[in-house]
Amino acid sequence: MNSLCNTQLPPGFKRRSIDSETEEFFINLGPQHPSTHGVLRLVLRLDGETVKEVVPHFGYIHRGIEKQAESQTYLQYIHLSDRFDYLTSHINNLGVCLAIEKAMNIGVPERAEYIRVIVNELQRISSHLVFFGSFGADMGALSVFLYAFKERELISQIFDELSGARLTMNFFRPGGSFDDVPDTFIPRVKDFIKKLRPAMKEYHRLFTGNIVFLERSKDIGILTQQQALDSGCSGPVARASGIDYDLRRDEPYSIYSEFDFGVPVRNNGDVYDRYMVRMEEMEESLKIIEQAVAKFPEGPYRSKTRPAYRLPTGTWTSVVESAKGQLGTFIVAEKGDKPYRIHTRSPSLANLSMLNEMCMDYKLADVVAILASLDPVIPEIDR
Amino acid sequence: MGIMKFIPKVLDPVPGGKSMVNAVDFIVNWARSNSLWPLTYGTSCCAIEMMATSMSRYDISRFGSEVFRASPRQADLIILAGTIVEKMAEPLVTLYEQMPGPKYVIAMGACAVSGGPFYYDNYSVVKGADRLIPVDVYIPGCPPRPEALLQGLMLLQEKIKKETLRNPWTEEDINTSPITNPFGDALQAWKHSETRKDEEQADARAKFKEENPDYQGYKHVRVKREVFPEVPLAEIPAKGLTKAQLFTAISKKFDQVGVHGLEEISPEAIEEHNPLEALNLTVPKTDYYDLINFLKSEAGLDFDYLFDMLSIDWKENFEMVVQMQSLRHKHKIIIRTILEKDEDAAADEVQAKLPTLSRVFRAAEWKEREIYDMMGISFEGHPDLRRLFLDDDFVGFPLRKDFTSDAMIPRGY
Repeated sequence: MNSLCNTQLPPGFKRRSIDSETEEFFINLGPQHPSTHGVLRLVLRLDGETVKEVVPHFGYIHRGIEKQAESQTYLQYIHLSDRFDYLTSHINNLGVCLAIEKAMNIGVPERAEYIRVIVNELQRISSHLVFFGSFGADMGALSVFLYAFKERELISQIFDELSGARLTMNFFRPGGSFDDVPDTFIPRVKDFIKKLRPAMKEYHRLFTGNIVFLERSKDIGILTQQQALDSGCSGPVARASGIDYDLRRDEPYSIYSEFDFGVPVRNNGDVYDRYMVRMEEMEESLKIIEQAVAKFPEGPYRSKTRPAYRLPTGTWTSVVESAKGQLGTFIVAEKGDKPYRIHTRSPSLANLSMLNEMCMDYKLADVVAILASLDPVIPEIDR
Repeated sequence: MGIMKFIPKVLDPVPGGKSMVNAVDFIVNWARSNSLWPLTYGTSCCAIEMMATSMSRYDISRFGSEVFRASPRQADLIILAGTIVEKMAEPLVTLYEQMPGPKYVIAMGACAVSGGPFYYDNYSVVKGADRLIPVDVYIPGCPPRPEALLQGLMLLQEKIKKETLRNPWTEEDINTSPITNPFGDALQAWKHSETRKDEEQADARAKFKEENPDYQGYKHVRVKREVFPEVPLAEIPAKGLTKAQLFTAISKKFDQVGVHGLEEISPEAIEEHNPLEALNLTVPKTDYYDLINFLKSEAGLDFDYLFDMLSIDWKENFEMVVQMQSLRHKHKIIIRTILEKDEDAAADEVQAKLPTLSRVFRAAEWKEREIYDMMGISFEGHPDLRRLFLDDDFVGFPLRKDFTSDAMIPRGY
């Protein structure tokens, strides 16, 4: 804790005006803190308990994936993509695969598309369940965490049977997936849908109506529509601020255009809306899974494999709707089987960029709630 | 521990005292091993598995370790769940120093054990946590399953149960702790067990042949190779203005723009060139700022959303790439600008400059900081141009093609 010195501000602080009647001071939150979702570091300028300015610092998990990818083949890069946003590994894999498919003109059979959609939506639910659990824990309701992980384990089990891994699956390949789904897949997914519906009601009974939660979340951390647009927010964060845009509906990749689902949008842009948008999204994802399971086709699980995955020279892009927002992949291909440059557009980085404006003039305890409601995954930001 | 360490000195010479020391050892170790309080320390993927282990199904509290502490001063076990990078090394050592002894370390996952998937061609990952702090238990896996973490915890409990007051736990000096070579030892043990296994199998085979002289053996069956069909790529219809319409609207105001990779420009050629990708517009450096301003404000185009910014190092020059889209009309554009490298600047200095976009789009502020950090391109008028990810004293810009670092181990293939 430093007392404020007029001439020297810590790096990143911009406002120089100081209220002369009270003493402002700085505190450091992180990089090792249970509610910073990994290793985010915040430096806060406080007036008493009121937050005046927030400066985030990144890089405590900067693993240099983009540099490392330049010396690995395209298929090897799929396994690195698991590790940015480990809560949505399947969706990251799909982003890379879509770019490679576009470049090499590889199509995907129908069954493979259905596998992709079901697995992606399960992954989205799984990620939102972790959000729900950690959000509750950050708000002081630790039991929420236990409830959320109970249902998440069912999804982990499905993924385990599917690919042998619970978290970093590395399952999709250009043209489909590396293996067919096991016989137990569809019955287990059906069983999961049957279990999650009542569990969702339980979550709402347990947490959403809680008066302490409502007081701490309504009208806290408001992100206006203009701010969200200007800072490039996407996904649930943008939809809670009234930006009605979902890639799955507006630019449908894979076969999302065949399903009937809603895109939850809310207009206040506060912590409560961001929470509710995610909870409603889980129900919409369930609807997609239900429809996909009902008409799950027979057939091949991937298209013809290629002897080598060498992309034609040029730039190839893809965007997918991850659980956090729009996840973009940008590949610059030159000769050979290794990329010249790969860049990933991180939705969490953009979603966090208005943190300072959102936290201003709220209390210190609200910063934790606002941060949790943005649901950032730090390794995805740092890459 | 002050008085405790005198207990063996006093009691051991007394007849029957040794068993009393053993009894005290047993009680102390039993209590200590069954109440390991871990620190909530998780950097990346493994942290989720650590959380899953402590939750409903796997329930780490069966082993007395459910009390995850937020403060290192209350914890006596640190589970290194996730990658440790150079910037995190100093906070990690501080955390370890703040924990009261006796304290234990579990390296969970390949990254904490050895750097794992980030071992080769990587400039920022610490290749094994034991280069920083002494590690008691290594758990392989990427990430390890919850069962593996529980086994690691049980191994640590076994280790604690072997401790004795005659030789109590002492803190190693972490700065001079030797870098042990667990792989070499493990390799020796593995080779030994493999030879033993081969011998046992040969014996078993000989015995089986003696007992069953008529045995024919089995025939190899060739598994039929799977045949996959050739499927055409499904096209995603583009929305909003077409590429040719966009180009005409822009080229009215900016006559120096071109299309990337296309020499003769005509509306049909633009549509046919690279039909799956958005319009790749090349623009000279002088028009870069004005063009993006124009795209944002011009009615009918309405590029209101800055999707991404990145830069490419083409060895002779840099290329700046800006991806924009219009959420209203749902069309996209990619703007590319070539930046000449400053020949006089050294490899670890800024070699190109551009005007900042942070006044046009707030989203550009951090993306430009990232480009400055990774590629060493400076942005004039940026409100806060610092490195985004790396330490301020880091030398060089990693994504440049001529970047070298002592920490990078090239993969040998």
